[in-house]
Formats: sequence, C-alpha cells, structure tokens
Amino acid sequence: MSKLTAPKAAPAGSTTARSGKKVFRKIEPYIWIAPSVILMAIFIVVPICKVFQMSMNQVTKTNQLKGFNNFENFIKVVKAPAFTLVLKNTLVWTIAVVVLSTVLGFMLALVLNNKFRGRKIARAIVVFPWATTLVIQASAWGFIINKDYGTLNTLLMKIGLISQPVNWTPTPEAYFAWEIACGIFVTIPFVTFCVLSGLQSIDTSYYEAATVDGANYWQKLFKITLPLVKSSLTVSTVLNIIYVFNSFPIIWTMTKGDPANRTDTLVTYLYKLAFYNGKQGEASAVSVIGFLILLVCASVYMIYTLRKGDDDL
Amino acid sequence: MKRFLALLLALVMTMALVACGGKNDTPSTDNTPPAQNDPAPETPAEKVDINVIAAQYGQNTGDWWANFVKEFNSTYENINLTVEVVSWNDIYTVVNTRISNNQAPDILNIDVFADYQADDLLLPAEEFVSAETYAKMYPAFLDQSVVDGTVWAIPDLASARAMYYNVDILEAAGVEVPTTWDELRDACAKIKAYDSSIYPWGIDMTTDEGQAAFAYYIWNNGGDFTDANGNWTLNTPENVEAIEYAISLVKDGYTNSDPATETRYDLQDLFGAGKLAMMIGPNSIPTYIAEGGSTINYAFAAIPTNGGNPSVSAGVMDRFMCFDNGHSDEKIEAIKTFFDYFYDDARYSDWVLMEGFLPATSAGGEIVASSDPNMAPWVDIVGSCKFYPTAKAEWADVKQGVINVEQQALLGGNVQELLDNLQAEIAG
Repeated sequence: MSKLTAPKAAPAGSTTARSGKKVFRKIEPYIWIAPSVILMAIFIVVPICKVFQMSMNQVTKTNQLKGFNNFENFIKVVKAPAFTLVLKNTLVWTIAVVVLSTVLGFMLALVLNNKFRGRKIARAIVVFPWATTLVIQASAWGFIINKDYGTLNTLLMKIGLISQPVNWTPTPEAYFAWEIACGIFVTIPFVTFCVLSGLQSIDTSYYEAATVDGANYWQKLFKITLPLVKSSLTVSTVLNIIYVFNSFPIIWTMTKGDPANRTDTLVTYLYKLAFYNGKQGEASAVSVIGFLILLVCASVYMIYTLRKGDDDL
Repeated sequence: MKRFLALLLALVMTMALVACGGKNDTPSTDNTPPAQNDPAPETPAEKVDINVIAAQYGQNTGDWWANFVKEFNSTYENINLTVEVVSWNDIYTVVNTRISNNQAPDILNIDVFADYQADDLLLPAEEFVSAETYAKMYPAFLDQSVVDGTVWAIPDLASARAMYYNVDILEAAGVEVPTTWDELRDACAKIKAYDSSIYPWGIDMTTDEGQAAFAYYIWNNGGDFTDANGNWTLNTPENVEAIEYAISLVKDGYTNSDPATETRYDLQDLFGAGKLAMMIGPNSIPTYIAEGGSTINYAFAAIPTNGGNPSVSAGVMDRFMCFDNGHSDEKIEAIKTFFDYFYDDARYSDWVLMEGFLPATSAGGEIVASSDPNMAPWVDIVGSCKFYPTAKAEWADVKQGVINVEQQALLGGNVQELLDNLQAEIAG
C-alpha cells in the first residue's frame, strides 16, 4: 500500500511547493523594490502631500493648521505684485542657464572627445565646478565681482585695463546676469559628461564612411553626431530644467533675491515667505505652483520618451 | 536559500530605515540624559523634568549651558534640567516642528514671542517667574513683551546700536563728529572730497537687516512704527522724510555702492579695512573688528538726529518664554527655581558677558558696567533705547514690508506712495 500511496503523495507535495514558488515569484519583485518604495514614500510622497495639505489650509505662524481656506493661499500668492516678476525671473533663469549651459557643455564635450595631450587632466578640471558645493561657488563668484575687494577689479587694475574699481553690479539686472553666469558655470560639467558619454558610444566607422563620401565637419556634426547624442542631450536637458528651476543656493548666497524681488526665483521667494514672513501656507502654495510647472515639463518628457519607446518596438 | 537570505536582509534594512525615520521626532539633548531613560532603581521617581530650547549666540553658548545644567542639576536633585542649544538658522523650524507634534519645550529662549502667544501657547510671565526675579528686569524691556496688558516673556539679553566712526579719516577730512542730519551730509561731502575711494557712510537695506536702517532714520526724525495706542503709523510725514533722506545719501554717492545687497557684516568689513568712515552698528562691533585683526582708530557716538529730536538708539532684545504644557504646581515651582538660578546677579552677568551682549536687569547692568569700563556707556544706552514692535502679530509683515519699501525706493520708487501702500496693506 505504501508503495501505492507514496507516488500519490509526492506529486501533491511538489504541487504545493510549486504553487508556493509561484506565489513567491509573483511577490518577489515587490519585496525587492519595497525599500525604494518605502524610502520614496517617506522622503518624497509624504512631504509632497504635506505641502499640498498646507497650501490649502490656513496655517499659523507656529505651523498649526486651522482648516481648509478656499484656496485663499493661492489667491493671495497670485495677486501679490511680486509674483509675476518672480515667475518671469524663474523662467529667464531656467531657460538662460539650461540653454546656454547645454550649448557650451556640448561644445566642451566635442573638444574633450578629441585625442590630445593632457585630455585626462582637462576632463578632471571640468569636473571641479560640479564637485564643489554651490554655496562655495556662489560665494567665490560674489568675491570675484565685488567692487571693493573683488579679484576681477584687482586683476584688471594690475594689468592696466582699468584705473579705478568698476561696479560690476550697478543694476539688479546686472546682478541677475552674474547669477546666471554662475549657474551656467556649475551646470556645464553635467552636460559635458552626459554628451561625452554619448559621443564615446558613436562608432567611428560612421565618420570614416562620411569622410569617404566627402562630408565636411558641419555635415558630420549635424547628420551624425547630433542625432546620435540626442538621447543624452534630452536626458541632461530635462534633468537640468528640474535642477535649475529648483536651484536655491546661488541666488540666495549672492543676493537673497534682493533688491525688491528683482533677482528672486520661485524657490527663494517661497523661502522668504515661509521663513522670513512666517507665511507657511502661501509658501506652500508657491511650492505647489512650482511643482505643477515642473510636472508639466516632466510629463512632456515622459510622453516623448514613451512614444519613442513604442516607436522602437 | 541565498536568494531568501538576500531578501530577508533587504527587509531588515527596510525596517531599520523606517525605524530610523520614526526616531526623527525624538528630542535630542546635548547634556545629561533624561531621567526616564535611566533604569537605576535609586533614581528618585518624582524628579521634575524641565526641557529648554536655547538659541546659540556664539561659540561659547553651548559650553556655558552645559556648565549651567551640570551645576543646576547637582544643586537641585529633585529637578532634571535638559537644555538643547540650537543655531539661529534652525531654531524656528525646530520649535515649530515640536509644537506641531505636541512636543513644545517647557522653556524657550528666542527673539520673538507674539506668534506663540497668538496661538495661545504661552503662560503669562508672572506665572512662571518669582516676584523677586521679575522685579530685577528693566521695566522698559518687559513692556516690549506685553499683549493685551499681560507680559508673556522676559528679556534674557539685549544689544544696542550707535554710530561708529573712523577717527583718523574724520580728522584728516577736517570733519567734526556729526550730531544732526545736516552735519552728517556735510561730513559725507567733506570725506568724499578728501578721498573719493572712501565711503563716507554705511547703509544696510538688505533682507538681513533693512528694518534696522528704517528704524534708525524714522526714530531719529521723530517718527515711529506705531502711535501711542499701538496703531501702525508707517506712512507719517516724519517717516517719509526720514527714508527720503536715507535714500538721498545713497543717490548722492555718500554711501556704500549697493545697500540692497551689502549686509551689516560687509559694512563692518569695510569699516575694519578703513574703507568706510562711519556706520551705525551694534555693541559687538569692537569684538568683530578685533577678531578681524584690524587696527583702525575708531570710536562711537550717538546716532545723528533731525529736527531737534533726541538721539534714539535701536535695541534688540531676546527673551525667555514658558509654554503652557499643562504644568503641575510642582513643575511651575521648578521652572521658577530655574529662572531664580539663571538670573542670580553674578551668574546672569557672566551669561551676558559670555558673548559680549548687554544685560536686561538693572543689577546685571551695574555688575557689567563695573567689570568692563568699555561696556559702561552701552549699559546706559541700552536702558533707554527703543525696540521694534515685535509684540504685534503683524511685525513679520511690517519688517519685510519696510525692507521692500527701502529697496523699491533705491530703484527709484516714490517713498510716499510705497509707504502709503504698505500702511494700507498692514493696517487694512
């Protein structure tokens, strides 16, 4: 009997084990991604929900929520005379830094992709602005352009180009331009290395074939190089839009958004609202507006890349 | 098996991360551990815990409080005092987070109190300070913490402002120390004529401290932020004239080149380097200049005034307040004991001198004045200076508002219109 029952029991056990394995295989991916999901929930989703909650509530100066206030925070923010100016500054800041750093970073990547002596050192030097903290970078730029003890004036006076110190920041617009210059300087390395990685993956046979066909430098650049590094450029541009839009240290260190909000972006403006004016509700509303603007940008990117993925299929 | 172990490890790491996240709210102390964490049976169960959050004034503050806690806890064995020293950058966020989590400190040492009072979070001062200690405070200081006729906080220290001037530059330019606005303009013109590379007068209209510049000029022109009844009076003719005068000094080229972005510290650096002839600054400037290695010959005098008004110094005062955490009578007594111990004359003057501030009690003032002759004139000044109306709930808006007015005016805005708009916005 035992001989008869044993073969029957074995398949039953293996079936259970097999179904257990099946279940395990189903839930296994979720267990693996659990740490990331939990971390994201704690450090990203919860704060975002909190900001949305605060933006729609009356918030006291000691951070106490006093109930839903009919989007009054948003109305106050949008009606504030400074908001339009700050929004415009944010767009100018983001577009100028992203576009110029992308163009310059791309050009630098083309140079660094060539073989020359000291290429490794040159590549290492390009990383420096990226590796230094933004507060230090901004302080250094502030020190360079300072009228009274700045190194730029000292240098120009020593080489005899100027006889008296020049005020490099006579207007708020001039100050903003210097901040943009600093922003470009610290953003270039990221673009350069994104593009450089794309350039290094291009097969040299394309260029050889193009040379045989009689293509000149510009034709090779626009017909081979640019299309093949397009995906790297897209990634760096979208990430830069998000980073630069949310960038706080450069403007805060150099001008704190002064004078009269002329150099404020949404991030420095909301910081002042929250921690100088004690208006946490309005600051949250500004934060939500910024979040929505970036969400639109990210969505455009997602739609673009998903469509591209479908095309590839 | 390996896969299972790896998964288990991942889960354990996740749980650990979650646990770490949960611990963020636990208050940390830099001193003796709380009694409830000590399982030793001989620890008296009835010890009263007092937790304090204190602002970090400088590098000595942490050590000073650490010694204080050690001595206090050994003197009063039935009380367990913990003091958390927090930097000025973080203290508002830390306190607001604690309040949001129903973990308000028992005692808070900070500059403002009106926001906490407006949310009914504080106890009246006379409920947590003994009559003897309360009587030591300068009455003018206590008046700055009154809302609805009740004092809600007590002063812990103060600083005052005066006009500093470079003696050598003024002498070389043939200028007497200015006492009026006309004399000040005249002095600026002479200094400019003597050496155009020297800035005659320093003005800070930045987000950091532009409200101080506003106060210097309006107070010394007979104006004020409020009237006697506490109503906002931001656009009075005196205030408009005062700000127009300050802006005219900038437009005439008598000041530092960019008052909207050059902070008081930038001015102090210029003054220490001998590039700025005169500026208004706090009593801590001598320490700042000495630490910077400067050897300039300087002195200080009363802030110049206009229209025969007496010179007014601007005072800045920090406070202690007690949160209404439903304290027992025993705990209130312990808190009173804490303040009696802190405001002991010798200990209190040590606290004030520790970071070079000015005392808020008359006895402390006498001790400080006699121990340091350089501080004596400042003790007189601080006893009679004016303070910002920080007891009013709109102060944060007014502070940022007047800074914005100054910066708009620097860009060519009409001072009258700007102040009218601000007055309408604040007073409704």
